[in-house]
Amino acid sequence: MINQYLLLSATLFTIGLIGFVVRRDLIVMLMCLEIMFNAVNIIFASFSYYGGGYTGQIFVLFSIAVAASEAAVGLAIVLSLVRVTAISHSDEIRNLRG
Amino acid sequence: MSPTVIDQLFFIYFYISLSILSIGVIVSRNIIHSAFFLLIFLLHVAAVFLFLNAEFLMAIQIIVYVGGVLALFIFAIMVMNIREELKHRRFVKFAGSGFLVSLLFFTVFYGFVRNIRFETSKPLSSDTNVLGSLLYSYYLLPFEILSLVLLIALIGGILIAKKTPREDR
Repeated sequence: MINQYLLLSATLFTIGLIGFVVRRDLIVMLMCLEIMFNAVNIIFASFSYYGGGYTGQIFVLFSIAVAASEAAVGLAIVLSLVRVTAISHSDEIRNLRG
Repeated sequence: MSPTVIDQLFFIYFYISLSILSIGVIVSRNIIHSAFFLLIFLLHVAAVFLFLNAEFLMAIQIIVYVGGVLALFIFAIMVMNIREELKHRRFVKFAGSGFLVSLLFFTVFYGFVRNIRFETSKPLSSDTNVLGSLLYSYYLLPFEILSLVLLIALIGGILIAKKTPREDR
């Protein structure tokens, strides 16, 4: 049934949210963003499966592409932050100028 | 055993293992261990796509996530110096309150979405041909815009992570 997929997706999204809020390392925070993207993709695919249309699967394709570009830009930002200020933890960032 | 019971058993296995793997991404002390937990997590999500009759999505998940995004993560970890990360503390100071707020989010979200029902009783069959023709006819404009988004993200990533910082200008 669709209820079990909803439970799975809600659990994974919550675990990703907990990791994003709780961890200090910027790279692990980006990994938790990927976990949340995957939870949303599962819920899109299950709506597509039980609703009887292919639009959900196409949205999953778009979401995967956006997640890939998000990971590229986010990792570039973290890399330049580490290179310029030698900080890789989220609670040590003091200023916004690079 | 009937096929529904076997489906249920497999789903319970995937539920438990996906939860354990995503918790392992959060709590592991080494970032490389987190990356490999994320690898197995993404492969399990690809298997869940197979449950939902989405074989094309399974292939795309393995190619893009495991082949692209995760390689990017491991590459970024290896470019940085993580040797002194091992003795740092892992969690922020307000970790308990963040945990509680996330649990509140779970109860609200699942309570909101729990009673969704669909009218159609026949589930979707797996057909990649329909997906491809839909992607190139009805969703053509978003598809092209998506290629532009990927190109701009590529150029932006290169420009941001370039070696020369502010002092050289």
